[in-house]
Amino acid sequence: MANEEGFVDAREAEALLRRFEPVIRFTKGEWFYPMDCEPYVDACSLWVKRPDEDAVCVVPPGELTLDRLAQQPEDTTGAVHYLKIRNPTNDEKRGLWARWRARRSHTNPDWPKETFRAGRGRLARVGYISRLADALFSLALLARGRVPGGDVEGGRVLYGRFMEKGQRFTYHGNVVRQDGWIVLRYWLFYAFNDWRSNVFGANDHEADWEKLFVFLSESGEVRPEWVAYAAHEETGDDLRRRWDDPELEKIGEHPVAYVCAGSHATRYFRGEYLTELAFPLPRAVSAVRRILRRFWYVTLRQYADEDYREKPYEQFTIPFVDYGRGDGLSVGPGQDMEWDPPRLMNPVPSWVSGYRGLWGLYTQDPFQGEDAPAGPMYDRDKTISREWFDPVGWAGLDKVTTRAEALEVIAGRRAEIEGRRALVRSELQDKSNRLRALGMDAEATRDQSHLSKLHESQTRHIEELSNEVETLREQLSDDEVLAETLQDHAERLRNGERPPARAHIVHAARPVSEEETRAGRVAQLWASISVAVVLVALIVIFALERQHLLSALVFAIALFAFIEAGFRRRLTRFIVSANIGLAIVGALVLLQHYFWQIIVLAVLSVGLYILWENLRELGR
Amino acid sequence: MVGIGAWLFSRIDWDRVKVLANEPGQIQVQTIDGALLKQLEQAILYFIYFLPPAILLLLAGLGFVLLRRRGWMLASVAQALIMLACLFFYGDSRPWFAYPLIACSIFMILLLNSRSVRAAVHRRRTALADARPEVAHGE
Repeated sequence: MANEEGFVDAREAEALLRRFEPVIRFTKGEWFYPMDCEPYVDACSLWVKRPDEDAVCVVPPGELTLDRLAQQPEDTTGAVHYLKIRNPTNDEKRGLWARWRARRSHTNPDWPKETFRAGRGRLARVGYISRLADALFSLALLARGRVPGGDVEGGRVLYGRFMEKGQRFTYHGNVVRQDGWIVLRYWLFYAFNDWRSNVFGANDHEADWEKLFVFLSESGEVRPEWVAYAAHEETGDDLRRRWDDPELEKIGEHPVAYVCAGSHATRYFRGEYLTELAFPLPRAVSAVRRILRRFWYVTLRQYADEDYREKPYEQFTIPFVDYGRGDGLSVGPGQDMEWDPPRLMNPVPSWVSGYRGLWGLYTQDPFQGEDAPAGPMYDRDKTISREWFDPVGWAGLDKVTTRAEALEVIAGRRAEIEGRRALVRSELQDKSNRLRALGMDAEATRDQSHLSKLHESQTRHIEELSNEVETLREQLSDDEVLAETLQDHAERLRNGERPPARAHIVHAARPVSEEETRAGRVAQLWASISVAVVLVALIVIFALERQHLLSALVFAIALFAFIEAGFRRRLTRFIVSANIGLAIVGALVLLQHYFWQIIVLAVLSVGLYILWENLRELGR
Repeated sequence: MVGIGAWLFSRIDWDRVKVLANEPGQIQVQTIDGALLKQLEQAILYFIYFLPPAILLLLAGLGFVLLRRRGWMLASVAQALIMLACLFFYGDSRPWFAYPLIACSIFMILLLNSRSVRAAVHRRRTALADARPEVAHGE
């Protein structure tokens, strides 16, 4: 190994990476698999977009190499560099019919071999509002920057050609030491993220960098302790699993990961995940919603499906499904396909550190979802990414010690506490003595009219000093308990006990249950057409039932909500919601009719309550 | 609810209704006392609107005795029907009895949806769900 902190030499790095390299299970119908980034770069052109100017091609396709990329030519303030996949020729494009024909005739490139099937649509799993928002989101794509439909074909042709030359599966590896950990960083490069085009997801973008980290500790020999799989923009404790967690699937020393179709998000379990795209609500709406929620759940003590928790901010979410079924190709040691030797990033190659641009089309999407990602070292805004400069903190391990160091850390901590306790004890002794002396002084000066000011000052000092002594005693007591607890903890660790493997997880991503994914064709059909049917029904009501507009609207909305609740097996929730709505209307009716009576009654109730409390006090 | 229903029916002059019903030939509606017609209409509507929730409430009562989840569901549906009926009455003739029934329904809705009642009624189901193996949840 090289330094105490920093990168590890190439030979050791490769040995470690290969020893713990992951097994990756894909979803049937995946188009793009992890590949070496070099042939991709060779096939792309490099473009630069300066503010208020049209993008210009600075390196045409066929002339770009990783070394040339590292130079980032024609860089200026505000410039965004990006790669661009060559558009396919008309002969290379494949529509639905052409794709079917190609599968039979093996046209060039005949890729992919399988097509993704969504099964039960995501819309059947979410409610009306989300479906409506989804429709608006899709419409917004027309106005926002988006990856053109032809680009996914370009990606398919490009990747298909690579796969026809020889099916190779490569990861990019980098090993680094930080805070006592050895971090194995597996970077997976995909030519295209086709989540929206082929998997009904939220976005498409050219190129995709995903990552999977393994954290090792070293005490004589290296020992795997944690893994962290990246999914979308998630960071922190929820990302990682302990090596001995029964939920973490492993084959020998190789952790198993399930990669979601199109998005390439990496998951711990096979299944279908509901991924939510969150948009913050306007501040005023958020505040009103928070007040109403608090009144309903806390003041009225009403039932909630999960424990009521004050949210720091309210947001609106649109759900998408991430399909991590693991029923497709499996890549890794002893699997359908083996990994090629990794492309090492120890020492850091110039294309990693030198190129700060995007690895695919820059669409200028304000949400950035359609913009290609930057490389392993950078974020899209050209700053160094946290997973690069602080992989331990990125996975929330900055507060966790390695097993090898745990006893040493506890011993150090106890010594530190003991030292502090000695200091506190000495300070406490000193202050206690002073407090007693002051007490004696105050006792002597009490009821002496000529010393009343001095007595007041003494009393004030006694109070201050007394508080300080109390704080010190508390600190001493806390430290004593802490030292004992650390001692017990060290004992448990020595006996081989470990804290619960999942104690650090707050919101673990879980696949939706089989029960939820099971739905009839009618439910799927209803989910697909419901938004359009509701809109048509509303127009019909406005056109034909203007005389009874309110009743007709209430009836129509109640009917649709009932059908929806039936399909989604949420009749209980529907009835509760309907009752709440009716109760609100009823309360308004009462308020309108008995406004002054209600005010008088409320004042009387408060008066009676106060009277009752006072009388109870008298009776004691 | 039953008390109000009984009162509504008791204030109708049934002898007069009988006489009118037994009169041969066509009855000129204009000749019938308007107040009587109104009382009769209100009583019949009350019967139609409140009979189903009354039956549901009886069944819900039985359900609650057996601590079944269906009892809670029936009671909730009954409350929804009562509220709807009251709101229809309110929109139509605004009778005095709509208001206490609305107030009572609001109280019952809040009570039925309160944490303690829901926890008691749904306990059995929650316990079963908790007991399911982790794998069944896809974990």
